[in-house]
Amino acid sequence: MTAVARGWGFDGPEPVWPIEVSGASKWFGDLVAVSDVSFRVGQGVTALLGPNGAGKSTMLRMLCGLTAPARGTVRILGGDPRRDLGLTRRIGLVPQQEVVFESLTAFEFVRLAGVLQGLDDPDAAAVRALGIVEMPVDDARPTSTYSKGMRQRVKVAQAIVHDPDVIVLDEPLTGLDPRQRLHMIHLFQRLGDDGKCVIVSSHVLDEVERFGSRVLVMVQGRLAAEGDFRAIRELMDDRPHRIRIRSDRPRAISSGLLDRGVVMGVQLEGADAAVVETDNVGHFRQAVADVARQVGAHLYEVSPLDDDLESVFRYLVGR
Amino acid sequence: MIDSAPPPPPPPPPPPPAESGWLTAADSSDRPSTPGAFAALYRLMLATQVSKARVLSLGAMGLVAVLVGFAIGRADVFDPVRDGTRFINGLGLSVLVPVATLVFASASLGELNEDSTLVYLWLRPVARWKIVGAAALASFTVTWPLVTIPLVIAAALTGAGGSLVVGTVAGVTISMVGYIGLFVALGLRVKRALPWGLLYILIWEGFVANGNATAARLAVRSYGRSTLSAITGVSLRLAEISAPWRWAMPFVVAFVALAYATRRLSRQDVA
Repeated sequence: MTAVARGWGFDGPEPVWPIEVSGASKWFGDLVAVSDVSFRVGQGVTALLGPNGAGKSTMLRMLCGLTAPARGTVRILGGDPRRDLGLTRRIGLVPQQEVVFESLTAFEFVRLAGVLQGLDDPDAAAVRALGIVEMPVDDARPTSTYSKGMRQRVKVAQAIVHDPDVIVLDEPLTGLDPRQRLHMIHLFQRLGDDGKCVIVSSHVLDEVERFGSRVLVMVQGRLAAEGDFRAIRELMDDRPHRIRIRSDRPRAISSGLLDRGVVMGVQLEGADAAVVETDNVGHFRQAVADVARQVGAHLYEVSPLDDDLESVFRYLVGR
Repeated sequence: MIDSAPPPPPPPPPPPPAESGWLTAADSSDRPSTPGAFAALYRLMLATQVSKARVLSLGAMGLVAVLVGFAIGRADVFDPVRDGTRFINGLGLSVLVPVATLVFASASLGELNEDSTLVYLWLRPVARWKIVGAAALASFTVTWPLVTIPLVIAAALTGAGGSLVVGTVAGVTISMVGYIGLFVALGLRVKRALPWGLLYILIWEGFVANGNATAARLAVRSYGRSTLSAITGVSLRLAEISAPWRWAMPFVVAFVALAYATRRLSRQDVA
């Protein structure tokens, strides 16, 4: 037990990552669900994005050992989740399906998870986990009577009851009301800050953006991109960046930028703003202040319009 | 343009402090014990198997057996032991026992597999044999009284005496052990295990295995029938399996089937 992992995780000659996927492929008959995917995930929160059918759930199932890759390897904390039974003690999963054991109460369900994890005090652990997701401990109703959002919270509770190091969440925000979504986002952030490796798949991009900036984007079974989504946007050099400039003389600044060849298109927005397109953000950043000074204009705002996660996602999925 | 390959590794961080949040690598020798896991699984399996619809429908079948037993007892029959034994064999061991066992045992893991709740058991550090064993034991716990009680009442009502009651309990128990192993494994192996199991009961146990004595040895029913026949002293067709095979073989069948189910549970994909 000498190897350790944190963040990008190295100790000694052999790097050990909480999650390490190498050349993983999975197919079901003729359908290729995941194709030659490689990535590594450290501690903190990482969002797994992709349209329906992109292979996200299959990827998450492989991470938990629920299905084996047809090719390649999946390592969790350096072990094989398919074979190392003891490793399941360090993995927590919120699966996509809504159904839980219908005849049990929330407390019984979460306590059962604690018992099966071999916890010394599963009752206390269940109380703690249910408290974290704001579910009542003494609710005598079976989970079959619960709303989708309540079930989702119970599923999160059973995933964290044993304080796992790697937490895999497949669409955990589905069915939650806005307040609970916010609560869950804060919970995932806190788990990440506490040193857990949290990987979350979701379609709700504006909320995923709040988990953190690190994303894995899957499209048609392949890994389309990984890393900080702002850095990914920077790399999209075949699509011009759109930037809004607010100034007292937007027309003059735009002309100056066009003259220098820094921007390739300009669209004026009223008397105090213009949207410019550039394929070299670094060059633009260097030039815009200089041009403003040259034409005697005041710059009020320079803001990128399409380096948010949704723009990156749309581009990657739609290309 | 976009590099999907992993980023180049950053420089190694400093060695971890002793009391930090660093994640240690998995140790395959780490096999955490899970005291109480079997009991918890057993209680869960009981709770998930018992439904009002199942109990009522199989209870109704048991009631039919009681009524027939009562009718035999009231009828002016020449040999109540012979007729009672044939009745327990024909309705009890051939229909009620396999069908009731199929309904509960195939659902024990099969339903969890089909509705994907199996993942909540699978992704735990619990030996797979405990999951399968708990399913089998829970199936036995539910099915045995549901079948045995009405058949014992029916046997008593025939007026055949104590040997038929004892033979009924022994025959039902022997048969049920074998069937539970088979049907727990079947539920895990196939989707819609109920029709597949009914086909097995009708075609294999009811038709093919009735062909001759050798074929009969390949049917679980034959061992219960032989036990019933040996205890009551009533000769039944294809019931000549001698001790200890007539009571040992169902246990062997159950063991092999449950071992297969354990192996399958370890290797199958879980939704």
